[in-house]
Amino acid sequence: MTGMAMLEELKSTAWSVVLAVLPLVVLFTVFQIFLLKLPRKDVQRILVGTAIAAAGLFIFLLGVGIGFMPFGRAIGEALGSMSQKWLLLPAGLFLGFVTTWGEPAVRILAEQVDQASNGSIRRSLVVYAVCIGVSVFVGLGMLRIGYEIPLLYLLLPGYSLVAVIMWLSDRNFVAIAVDAGGVATGPLANTFLLALALGVSAAMGNQNPMTNGLGFVALIALAPMVSVMTLGLLMRWKESGKISPKEP
Amino acid sequence: MLSELKERLLDVLRTVAPLIGIVCLLQLTLVRAPMGLFLQFLAGSTLVIIGMLLLFLGVDLGILPMGRFIGAELPRRGSVLLIVAVGFAMGFATTIAEPDVLVLTDQVSRISQGSIDGSGVLYVIAVGVAIFVAIALARIVYGISLRLLLTVAILVVVLLSLVAPQDFVPLAYDAGSVTTGVLTAPVVIAIAIGLSSVLAGRSAISDGFGLLGLASIGPIITIMIMALLTR
Repeated sequence: MTGMAMLEELKSTAWSVVLAVLPLVVLFTVFQIFLLKLPRKDVQRILVGTAIAAAGLFIFLLGVGIGFMPFGRAIGEALGSMSQKWLLLPAGLFLGFVTTWGEPAVRILAEQVDQASNGSIRRSLVVYAVCIGVSVFVGLGMLRIGYEIPLLYLLLPGYSLVAVIMWLSDRNFVAIAVDAGGVATGPLANTFLLALALGVSAAMGNQNPMTNGLGFVALIALAPMVSVMTLGLLMRWKESGKISPKEP
Repeated sequence: MLSELKERLLDVLRTVAPLIGIVCLLQLTLVRAPMGLFLQFLAGSTLVIIGMLLLFLGVDLGILPMGRFIGAELPRRGSVLLIVAVGFAMGFATTIAEPDVLVLTDQVSRISQGSIDGSGVLYVIAVGVAIFVAIALARIVYGISLRLLLTVAILVVVLLSLVAPQDFVPLAYDAGSVTTGVLTAPVVIAIAIGLSSVLAGRSAISDGFGLLGLASIGPIITIMIMALLTR
């Protein structure tokens, strides 16, 4: 990257961070004046915290711009130009599993499920279920880009499945499962996998990146929902089996 | 403060480590990108780690207390409408500062070669989150079943995805999954807990659940409506 381009990148990133954080600061100021009337010390802490968050956002976006985006794309292009397209499936399975395994939010989710099920669904089971779910969806997502399968062919069955299981599975699980959509997609995985998918799509030649490159992150969000709801369903069956073993 | 910093650093490293590990493995075996690009990736990753650390720290120090103060003050006013309105405003303001939303919208303007305005998409996403945060808060007030609301929302999403211009469908779903991240989640949950405490007889915890999931359906709907309107 040349010096000029670097400077331009710095400037535009700084500007977008200012635009991003300003409304939050304005809102807080309005609330502070009319509603909160917090002591000065608290206001100071909140503003300093917000400034630190803004600085973090700036550095994060810069790092994504110079490191994650170009290299994620390069990996995607390398994967996309493999001689056999079906190899995208194992590559996706692997990538999906490993990136989810590291996500701290998955552990928190596992804890929640453990509690909601009174320990009948163990934490490790939840972690595996989510990792396998994401892994399968990422694998299918990679194949989808390779073979130009419309995104809806994967998403609509997925969402319909969620809508159906929801009515069958334990009520406590519905809320947890719905929120679980966010756990596998932290800012890191989101940006990296987005770049990777765009790279795969670019390697395929005449593809429209809007229809084939995008949509990858969406699959990763659907996966944990399906996983957790299925666990809830299994738990319900197991429990009803205990109470009335003769019922089918 | 220092032990918090250490904990956050470990959190961030735990998330980044597998990713960097895979990248190095792929670089050695399959990708073999030029050394310059690889070094650029390592430099970028270092910035990403520092950035995430500061972001988490800033959220703990500033954004989270902001959400808690607002969530604690609002019930005292006793107005449900006010809580829903504040939820709407905060949902909007936190979404436009969400790191992965910013990255997605930036990429959109790049890959569409400027034919789609990324910052416009950013605001449409934020409005979607805001509306659904408001709906989710209203749900808690009126005790509407989460299942019912979700089923309706999913039906709307499915119908829209069949009629909307297909170029925008993947973007819409991606927008849904990048929202409700590090900034939005703590603030919105704090407001929901505040709301639950006004409404006697409801457990704060079970009412707060499902909120983020609902909120992330919002942008899917608003992006597709935008696409239909601007076609």
